[in-house]
Amino acid sequence: MNIPVSHLAQEAIAALVDGELSGAAAGRAARHLTGCLQCRLAVEAQREAKEALHTTHDVAVPGDLLSRLQAIPFTADVSASGGFGGSGTLLASPDRVLGGGFSAPLAPQQTPDRPGQARWLRRGMAAGLAGIGVGVVALAVSLPTGGQAGPVARPDTGSTVTSGERTAVVPPVVRTLTVGTPLTGGTP
Amino acid sequence: MAHAAATDVWVAPTWEQVVRDHSARVYRLAYRLSGNAHDAEDLTQETFVRVFRSLASFSPGTFEGWLHRITTNLFLDMVRRRQRIRFDALPEDTERLPGSAPSPEQVYTDTHLDPQVQAALDALSPEFRVAVVLCDIEGLTYEEIAATLGIKLGTVRSRIHRGRVQLREALAHLAPGRRPVLEEGPR
Repeated sequence: MNIPVSHLAQEAIAALVDGELSGAAAGRAARHLTGCLQCRLAVEAQREAKEALHTTHDVAVPGDLLSRLQAIPFTADVSASGGFGGSGTLLASPDRVLGGGFSAPLAPQQTPDRPGQARWLRRGMAAGLAGIGVGVVALAVSLPTGGQAGPVARPDTGSTVTSGERTAVVPPVVRTLTVGTPLTGGTP
Repeated sequence: MAHAAATDVWVAPTWEQVVRDHSARVYRLAYRLSGNAHDAEDLTQETFVRVFRSLASFSPGTFEGWLHRITTNLFLDMVRRRQRIRFDALPEDTERLPGSAPSPEQVYTDTHLDPQVQAALDALSPEFRVAVVLCDIEGLTYEEIAATLGIKLGTVRSRIHRGRVQLREALAHLAPGRRPVLEEGPR
């Protein structure tokens, strides 16, 4: 599907369908489209492909995956953080795991969407502090250890893993990640 | 910390909340990209492991953007790794190589996405697929896609355009019943 130069540029066609053209450019494109069947068809074809993907029903996360994700605080990083071992991880309950490390940027997504949860969370936090104060203290001690354990703790967007640090993770992950040579490339 | 609970100061979400709020989106993205539940689960799990390890150093930006970036990078890494493996012909991973696609019934059960649409997505080259999925399924703007993938805006535009052209051709090929508009004229 080659479009001659006198027609809309291909990129402009995609951008038009996605509403990504500036006002002036969109106006020019619209004027061109009224007189050009070929470009109208190209726009329609883009729209059709877009709509084919638009039937996005929500995907249910498999239950066992969900429990593995919930268990990450218990399964990840234990060996890498140099052996605070069983007792340390037991104290790092999932409720308190984010204690010190997690900071403000989550707020815009969390608060407006779920005010109820935020209240619940604050109540939970108070209860947690009253109830397992010892646990919180222990976590405050143990978390930074886990968070700064060498190469593992880099702000990580998907590249450079070594297979050695995988051993503590549950088996399904090991299966994927020990497959090849250490990853390279793919920096964001 | 103690009086944070009594005032309106923002409180960090629990890990359980993070998983609950974001796992469906990450899993959906991973499934659309990888085309099968097995890889989608592995990608999702690895994404959350990365998130957990890096929470302390999470820097400003949206959490969603961060998740998109990790997931897509892990996916592209996986694809590249498999291309290398196929090249080197390692025997023990053959069952995981592309070609062991799930059945259409399985795809529908897993994702409620038309199996033909998923198959057409799978037919796209990974770079085009990522751009199209981020745009049309995740609803990201071109600018967000450019930031997620670390590519230029013009590259985003052309990958989306070419990806959709290929997608439509693949769909027409997979489902001859779907009449492309070209033969009907504009609606």
